[in-house]
Amino acid sequence: MHVVSQLLELAGIGRDRMQLRWVSAAEGQLFADFVKELSSLIGEKGGFDPNEYQLKLAAVEGALNSPRLRWLLGMDRQLTERENVYHQKVDDKLYKELLERATEEEYQKSLILEVLRDGPQSVREIAEKSGLQIYAVSQLLSEIEKAGLVDLHGYEGTTPKFIRLAA
Amino acid sequence: MNEKKASQPVTGAVMVVGGGIAGVQSALDLAESGYFVYLVENSSAIGGVMAQLDKTFPTNDCSMCILSPKLVEGGRHLNVQLMTLCEVESLEGEAGNFTVTVKENPRYISMDKCIACGVCAEKCPKKVEDSFDERLGPRKAAYVKYPQAVPLKYAIDADNCIYFKNGKCRACEKFCPADAVEFDQKPQTHTLQVGSVILAPGFKAFSPEVYDTYGFGKYPNVITSMQFERILSASGPYEGHLVRPSDKTEPKKIAWLQCVGSRDIHHGAHGYCSGVCCMYAIKEAVIAKEHSKEGLDTAIFFMDMRTYGKDFERYYNRAKEETGVRFIRSRIHSIVNDPHTDDLILEYVDESGQISSEVFNMVVLSIGLEISDEMKNMAEKIGVKLDLDGFAETSAFQPVSTSRDGVYVCGAFSGPKDIPYSVMEASAASAASAALLSTARGSLTQEKTYPAEEDVEKEEPRVGVFVCHCGINIGSVVDVPSVKDYARNLPNVAFVEENLFTCSQDTQQVIRDAIREHRLNRVVVAACTPRTHEPLFQETIREAGLNRYLFELANIRDQDSWVHQAEPEKATAKAKDLVRMAVAKVALLEPIERLRVDLNQDGLVIGGGVAGMSAALNLADQGFKIYLVEEKSELGGHALKVQKSCKGEEVPAFVKGMVERVENHANIEVLKGTRVNDVSGFVGQFKTSVQSNGTPRELDHGVAIIATGAHSLKPDLYLYGQNDRVTRWHELEEKFDEDPGKLEEAEAVAFIQCVGSREPERPYCSKICCTASVQQALELKTRKPDLDVYILYRDMRTYGAREDLYKKAREQGVLFIRFAQDEKPQLEAVKEGGREKLQITVKDHILGRPIKINVDYLNLATALIPRGQEEMAKFFKVPLNNDGFFLEAHMKLRPVDFATDGVFIAGLAHYPKPLEESIAQAQAAAARAASVLAKPYVEVEPVVSLVDQDLCIGCGLCEASCPFGAIRLHKVTGRGYRAETIAASCKGCGVCAAACPKKAIDMMHFRDRQICAAIRAGGARQ
Amino acid sequence: MSQTFEPKILAFLCNWCAYAGADLAGVSRFQYPSTIRVIRTMCSGRVDPSHVVEGLKSGFDGVFVFG
Repeated sequence: MHVVSQLLELAGIGRDRMQLRWVSAAEGQLFADFVKELSSLIGEKGGFDPNEYQLKLAAVEGALNSPRLRWLLGMDRQLTERENVYHQKVDDKLYKELLERATEEEYQKSLILEVLRDGPQSVREIAEKSGLQIYAVSQLLSEIEKAGLVDLHGYEGTTPKFIRLAA
Repeated sequence: MNEKKASQPVTGAVMVVGGGIAGVQSALDLAESGYFVYLVENSSAIGGVMAQLDKTFPTNDCSMCILSPKLVEGGRHLNVQLMTLCEVESLEGEAGNFTVTVKENPRYISMDKCIACGVCAEKCPKKVEDSFDERLGPRKAAYVKYPQAVPLKYAIDADNCIYFKNGKCRACEKFCPADAVEFDQKPQTHTLQVGSVILAPGFKAFSPEVYDTYGFGKYPNVITSMQFERILSASGPYEGHLVRPSDKTEPKKIAWLQCVGSRDIHHGAHGYCSGVCCMYAIKEAVIAKEHSKEGLDTAIFFMDMRTYGKDFERYYNRAKEETGVRFIRSRIHSIVNDPHTDDLILEYVDESGQISSEVFNMVVLSIGLEISDEMKNMAEKIGVKLDLDGFAETSAFQPVSTSRDGVYVCGAFSGPKDIPYSVMEASAASAASAALLSTARGSLTQEKTYPAEEDVEKEEPRVGVFVCHCGINIGSVVDVPSVKDYARNLPNVAFVEENLFTCSQDTQQVIRDAIREHRLNRVVVAACTPRTHEPLFQETIREAGLNRYLFELANIRDQDSWVHQAEPEKATAKAKDLVRMAVAKVALLEPIERLRVDLNQDGLVIGGGVAGMSAALNLADQGFKIYLVEEKSELGGHALKVQKSCKGEEVPAFVKGMVERVENHANIEVLKGTRVNDVSGFVGQFKTSVQSNGTPRELDHGVAIIATGAHSLKPDLYLYGQNDRVTRWHELEEKFDEDPGKLEEAEAVAFIQCVGSREPERPYCSKICCTASVQQALELKTRKPDLDVYILYRDMRTYGAREDLYKKAREQGVLFIRFAQDEKPQLEAVKEGGREKLQITVKDHILGRPIKINVDYLNLATALIPRGQEEMAKFFKVPLNNDGFFLEAHMKLRPVDFATDGVFIAGLAHYPKPLEESIAQAQAAAARAASVLAKPYVEVEPVVSLVDQDLCIGCGLCEASCPFGAIRLHKVTGRGYRAETIAASCKGCGVCAAACPKKAIDMMHFRDRQICAAIRAGGARQ
Repeated sequence: MSQTFEPKILAFLCNWCAYAGADLAGVSRFQYPSTIRVIRTMCSGRVDPSHVVEGLKSGFDGVFVFG
């Protein structure tokens, strides 16, 4: 779940819109307290307009569905479950860093892919719409290209335009 | 074992007396194995003492959370009849055919009509001290025992009711919306036929008033450990706030005094050890520290720390080293109350002999367990013998049999014990009953029949919505008619109605009629919680020919009207949302067939020690065919070396008799000299390949019991293996038996305890060594009274009735010397007057300086260790704990089960334990196995995972993530590996679905699209 | 800060723990904000990250997962 909160943060939605808490069957008061506390926390943040974040939410979703993250997530669950069931402490600091980096990259890639839904675009256009650095876009584009998800569509003047291949 | 008279017909019903955790477990085991059960409870609800506890050791599980599902299951089992407010009057007849007379006391509230709304209690003007809350808070004369009570029905306490006292009031009757109050109820007598009786009345917590120097009842802040449980409990009198009774302020220092009423022959207390208090005191101290925001100081005053159970020692170490609970070895004589502050002053002598005085804000008395006069009375009526301490008399070889044939016992009634052991015995008692009554299995149980299911999958959804007023519980907050009108216009809704009580018997008929009349193919009920009521409504729609999974409950009471009482409009809006979400989900629900997996009714028992043999014999007596596999060339295991049980019975004769019975039993095939090579399959259909004296063989079986035992450590300490005067366990006895002259010549013998146990590399107590050494010491003293016998120990852990042996040993002059873990005895071979001796140097704690003892022989109580269990664990996909012992499904309530269905555990392979506990655990494993084997098929809850074979890439993450071994890879020709669900083992948790990198796994009944539909419906703004 | 805005909140509750806890809150009449909408799952492990996104897309202002 911390991947989701990281993604929500990256998308500018804010990680605290998703909250994870443990409540046992005997902790009715605790449940009520959590709902109160968390509701007022979200209340302070104000309403959330999904239309405003349409592009970014789609990118978050895309990142979550990316094979790389789902793989890593699958491993993560396995580790956390182990820790819960067998009380083993898993030293996963390194793993966490890896996961965080992967999350960020996958989010950015997914964002580029989402932007490209509007038709062929140049690196500069993509950067503008996604809010990413031009340098980052071109680097990520080449990776996505290698994965066979985008392709060079053609040139407008001397500016190369890219097109989305994935559905 | 029971001698069966096969010729005589027996009755296929059992009466279980006592509705605590032990009684409920017995009842469920028997009901699942084909016997009808009358569960008799003298209070208004089942649950017993466990329902009062806050958390349970050593896992810190919330007690209510783990208990509640069992209670609900017991409450609604078709073959369990709950008889609350009932007492047994008499028992006539004999094993197999008893007649029981039961008196039922009036509840004054109709069980059929009561809807548990609580209005009677709210309106009742009479306040009474709540005994469930240990008299720390009030309840009313009209009450429910506790919020999660089963049955959840109110009762009127006639002793305190104003109407019964002076003929006026009847407020409850006036306000009851369901017309359920019946002041004219009279006691009734029931006469019932049963084949056997299981006694599980539990225990009474010791009343510490007899210790006048402790001032309990006089000093407000001296409380019992049971009261402390209620203080910690979130649903207790202080709502889980840790405050002291006198001024409701948060205490900064709390002391626990151990052995209150136990290990004490004075004051009308008891000589035995209550066995559970050390652990619960540590747990209470740890939890109290968690509760307290500002560094609570906790101190436990004890004599011997008896943390002998599985994972107990670890818990103790953590409390000491990480949590910072203070442990002070001292027995407190008296408590002084400061009248100005109600603080308490304790004066004590510590280990070094120093007198100290400390002030505490609160003192908890760790009270022991005892048998109440009512229980003794009941035992007399039933005709079972009690021992001198008042506990039901049992033999170590038949730990759940009483003195009366066909009457069994489990739980604390036969001696102080903790929850897991009580649960084990409960299953064992049901196994003993089942063996006695096996010819009548299934003769009195019922199975329900239903009309054929309609095929609705191709039809357009037609949803019926029933909105419940629940008397005024929902209707007074939520505008039910408007919710109903709103529901009418939702997509797919074909019928709507509101009911006063949707759960009432007559409304079930209304629902069934509506389904037929309006051709409904999905049903939504907007009422209370699915946790209690979903099965009822599922049953109703099933009776009307609909699949039971085409149902959804919208919780507009527990999670709406009750929690938004001041905001009726918003509560109504929420109710509409919840109904909309339920309708959206129900429209996408699919009919699911309950799965049945064929089952092989044979069993496999691995290990031919006493545990394995006990399990095999019981199952064989129950009529199942059993393979008993033993690696060695003879049966008997460790017990072959034991001379006497802790109760003094002769073990060799017992083992010999048992081996004979096993080898001659028509239903047991013994495979000696046999190794297990591989295991495949799952519950119902295991296939085990073995190597039997060189010949390979395949065994097909439905269940397996692992009873592979343990070994004792051969240490390289204390000259063991270098000096033949140093022995371990039974080697000294054997030496003296072989050559009695050696004992004759000997002047002194010593025992050293905890050799290899309770050490950093093995942080557990081997549990049986203290008793074993004390028994051997006593035996030596009996054979040669002038022999000097020393026992060097760290904590004397003669728990329960074994304390008596310790006491006897001290009376006979056995010398006990305590040493600390970091000040172990030193050993040297010396010569004394030309004779070879062993010289032990140990620091005497009373004298505070080292002393030297010369002995002729030294016997070491070495650790019991598991060996080679990894392989077996891998075969059956079951886990081991950190110490290498098998890890059961749940430390508290499933002590012989694994999370993997159809595999069970018994004996030393689970954890070190004495003979009688191994036997009880083996019988328990047999009972659990029998509840699977009793049916020709395994019925499976179909809320299971579903793998899309096209999306699956066979990566195996699901298999690795599943805690139940319920999903695995299998080979598909031409495609490599694909995952498949083992429905029989799947619990529907969905961890695999979330772990699948390809999103190839979905959960039946909680499908992705069903959840998403509910999310979208919920998010839409009205 | 005075609050007039009431967020709409989606909560996933595990059947055996948090859902039971929420029921107990009801039995005990502990009051809490009425804007929470609950979805019951068998286990909190079932909650897929995409369900959280789905919640935000569907008009909820926040998503809670109670295990």
